[in-house]
Amino acid sequence: MSQFYEYLKMAVSNIKANKVRSFLTMLGIIIGISSVILIISLGNGAKNVVTDEMSGIAAGQIALYTYDDTGTYYITNDDIDAIVEQVDGIKAVNVYNYFDGKLTTRKGEFAVSGSGQMSSFPYFSNSTILKGRYFSENEYKAGMPVCVIGEEDAIRLFGSTDVIGMSLEVVPSWGNSITFDIVGVEKKPDDSMFSYTYENSPVNIYFPLTVFSQIYGWEMDDYYQIYLLAEEDADTTAVTSQVVSLLEKRHQCFGESIYQYESFNDYMSIVNTVIGMVTMLISLVAAISLVVGGIGVMNIMLVSVTERTREIGIRKALGAKTRSIMLQFLSESAIITMIGGLIGILLGIGGAYLVAKIVAMVQPTMKFTPAVDIFTILFTTLFSSAIGLFFGIYPARKAAKLSPIEALRRN
Amino acid sequence: MDTLIEVKHLMKIYNPGENEVRALNDVSLTIMRGEFVAIIGQSGSGKSTFMNMLGCLDVPTSGSYYLNGKDVSGLLDDELSDIRNKEIGFIFQGFNLIPNLTALENVELPLIYRNVPAAKRHELSVASLKKVGLENRMDHKPSEMSGGQQQRVAIARALAAAPPVILADEPTGNLDSASSKEIMQILRDLYNEGRTVILITHDNKIAASAKRVIRIVDGKIVSDTSYGDNESIEAIAKKIEEEGDKEQGYV
Repeated sequence: MSQFYEYLKMAVSNIKANKVRSFLTMLGIIIGISSVILIISLGNGAKNVVTDEMSGIAAGQIALYTYDDTGTYYITNDDIDAIVEQVDGIKAVNVYNYFDGKLTTRKGEFAVSGSGQMSSFPYFSNSTILKGRYFSENEYKAGMPVCVIGEEDAIRLFGSTDVIGMSLEVVPSWGNSITFDIVGVEKKPDDSMFSYTYENSPVNIYFPLTVFSQIYGWEMDDYYQIYLLAEEDADTTAVTSQVVSLLEKRHQCFGESIYQYESFNDYMSIVNTVIGMVTMLISLVAAISLVVGGIGVMNIMLVSVTERTREIGIRKALGAKTRSIMLQFLSESAIITMIGGLIGILLGIGGAYLVAKIVAMVQPTMKFTPAVDIFTILFTTLFSSAIGLFFGIYPARKAAKLSPIEALRRN
Repeated sequence: MDTLIEVKHLMKIYNPGENEVRALNDVSLTIMRGEFVAIIGQSGSGKSTFMNMLGCLDVPTSGSYYLNGKDVSGLLDDELSDIRNKEIGFIFQGFNLIPNLTALENVELPLIYRNVPAAKRHELSVASLKKVGLENRMDHKPSEMSGGQQQRVAIARALAAAPPVILADEPTGNLDSASSKEIMQILRDLYNEGRTVILITHDNKIAASAKRVIRIVDGKIVSDTSYGDNESIEAIAKKIEEEGDKEQGYV
């Protein structure tokens, strides 16, 4: 073991003696490792952003829709009540319905995107209440024209968030005008890429779905798509299939695949898989550059063996065995690639944070932090040393096999 | 005195077959512990091949070689490395120091390959460098030293591991006369301390420091003469000269 330490020392002193060459040899490894680290940490960072965003709005959400061209198998309010009462693991059910329209305040005229919701709306919102409250179950049942608006929209409409109790007279592009009383203001979601508002984006108002009976003039009781929210610890697939079989029983259409669903968790895992695959693919390309770097190390080590033939001869004459010479040269290439690997890791992490900074400058609402995990670092360090060892074997063997007289004779 | 080296019917044949070259042709020789032997010969006489055999850098085609009681004529590469490390201290014509190591590090090399612990190694190497008068040059690299100093480092390296045989191959070949004198004085001192020194040279004046001179011509030992301890270097040199002339038919 102490012997091995001596070889390491020899290798280090030799690397130091040829600083420029050693650095140039490392360069290939540095580039390879830093690109692998850069890509993996950016990929992981992107994955985290998507996961955070999606789980903020949609984790555990399932969209259930009827796939039926006869128009008979819609979902009714009674169905929804039955689902809430009878299915275990259901936290809430919601239905959205939208209308476009406009409204005028003293600040001017605004486009409106009205969004009718059930009283379970707070569960499905990606935000929380800032002032006032959400509309109640009673208000929903009674079809009261009350609404919740966003913090930023409140400021656009009135220049302030103290808007509780104010009314909004909204003119839908189709149907009857209606006056909403504002009962709550929602917080602006923190740095979300899905809540980016621009100058002319319509004002979003959220109100009881039952208010549509006043806009349209008839009561809504036929939905083609509803949203389910499973309890946090519930198995979404099991919950959904319970809902489907309940609906099939109520509508007498067993096994006709009329009710279909898509879970946001599924979307999320698809998105994650895609990001993961892209990351892997680019990493693979980067890994090829690592192999090229390894070949560079081998080349330089071969040149070094030729140049140091005499040194090898001296060492052998003084009693170095094949193994000693082999270990000395292997340590040298392993150390070169390991140092290259460490520099590469630092550059890769630095580069990833730089990219994140640039992203933050271009798109301030996107909170993007590169994720560097210890596993990646350990793996790439080991990998770069392994490359050094692998590509060092041939030159080291060549050195170790030299005959001492031959080697001493050469100049 | 006991036998240190015993060589019997040593042959080294290059290119066996039609154009074979007998670099060593049936050489037999015994060297006792504590002798100072010079092996002399013209270039191409086979003395370098003989030196490679004696130094365990090469193995003979046939014949036997007992070094310090061990038959080393049929050993493998790594076994030969071991023998060289333990039994032989080399001094080469071209010094053969490693350029990017300091004097001290160069002297430590054979001790590293012998697994001597760091502290002990340092102690032995410093002592060895002191012996050749280089205690003030220990941290200098070979390029920062004169030829004579470099050869002294090489001697220190050969001595550090206290091997039974000091094998000096043309040790003064690259040196000016003043440095040559210094180096030869060190070798004589080593002999006087009781060490076995084998000197390979083509230079009769250098060979005259030895007490026994073996002349090789065409791969064969043609003469083996011992001189008394009280004979001066000049007298021995004259005798070697005369004998050489006789050998080449000048007289």
